[in-house]
Amino acid sequence: MLPDFVSVNPETKEEALAFLDSIGDARVIAGGTDLLVNMKRGESCRNVVDIMNVEGLNRLSVNDGEIVIGSTVTHAAISTITILNDMARSLSAACGLIGSPQIRNMGTVGGNLVNASPAADSISPLLIHDAILSIESKDETREETLENFIIAPYETSLKPCELLTSVCIKALPGYREGYRRTAKRAAWAISRLSVAWAILEDEGRFVDVKLAIGSCTPMPFRPRSVEEFLRGRTKVDPTIGEAVVMVTEEIRKITGDRPSFAYKLPVVSDLVQKALRG
Amino acid sequence: MKNVSFVLNGKRVSCEVQDRELLLHTLRERFSIKSVKEGCGIGECGTCTVLIDNEPHYSCLTLASKVNGHDVKTVEYLGDADHLHPLQKAFIESGAVQCGYCTPGMLLSAYSLLMKNGNPGENEIKEAISGNLCRCTGYIQIVEAIRDAAGLCKCKS
Repeated sequence: MLPDFVSVNPETKEEALAFLDSIGDARVIAGGTDLLVNMKRGESCRNVVDIMNVEGLNRLSVNDGEIVIGSTVTHAAISTITILNDMARSLSAACGLIGSPQIRNMGTVGGNLVNASPAADSISPLLIHDAILSIESKDETREETLENFIIAPYETSLKPCELLTSVCIKALPGYREGYRRTAKRAAWAISRLSVAWAILEDEGRFVDVKLAIGSCTPMPFRPRSVEEFLRGRTKVDPTIGEAVVMVTEEIRKITGDRPSFAYKLPVVSDLVQKALRG
Repeated sequence: MKNVSFVLNGKRVSCEVQDRELLLHTLRERFSIKSVKEGCGIGECGTCTVLIDNEPHYSCLTLASKVNGHDVKTVEYLGDADHLHPLQKAFIESGAVQCGYCTPGMLLSAYSLLMKNGNPGENEIKEAISGNLCRCTGYIQIVEAIRDAAGLCKCKS
């Protein structure tokens, strides 16, 4: 049984923003796959604003290599829309691994970001695409990078009156791109470690490397020093080996030594190595 | 309270629901559809699966107000004891039903797959039912049943 609340089902963005501005103690619901579970476990609020009927928020548009994904686009849509498969392969692969078919039909990219789990599959691919989020309130529209949006596990910069309306990413033409993860089972499992990558190579050299590691640190992150190190270097085993060691050092810098490192560091090393080798 | 109107198993229906009411409870208590069951209650086991606009959803995590204007199907849509759907027959013939608790949800996930893909491969079948847990059969008979039914039936929306 859910705690008692009053819900509204706005049909336009303006209506939704007006609700968020005027009613206190409100939570936004999209697919509900995180929020309702948390409510069943004891979280409560007086008001719920259901944004699934809001016109335009479920739109996906592509313009000149720029992809704008509305916040209520579902994981199922992201994993099956051909154009995303071509232009943001790591993202569509990651969204195809989230939960189960039912969860993917319900859960949305906006919900995944606002929930801000360290294990959220969509975050790492969006980080390598330098995602910029559009956040709106009744009086203001602002943009924020995904990197700045998530400020701690399960915590974002979103204010109570604000709504995440869309995510904008740029295609990375010419890059080979992907997402791999390990989990306790092949399906219907939470990611234990993940790597998203987009790598541009030319004649045996790394021209540009973008990496993001998920489920390892409090927030998925880009090991920037490693990306910098690899830029322009020849793609040979010693260089890849050095990069892998640097990744583990970056993780150590973020979290300090952890008991889980006995498992995590070898696995993340293997994932990164495979990503770099291709 | 909210008034919701939707299509339930092919028939237009409407009812008053509480704001916090879950579709699972609306179907069980207001429409006496007991095939939709609460297992884990947190969207992990799949026994509450229903089709909304022909796609599987967990009704234990779906607010009833969300289905206003949509199409909802439960296993009753497929057939009844006297007129079994070929998919239901295949489940019986393959031994894909043991305790039966997961079966309605399993059938709906399978039905949704067959609506989109008339000739699914083994991996596609496994993927389609990956959100429905069965603790009796070990899944092999279920996968076989869906494969056998694929050639025989037309899954209509």
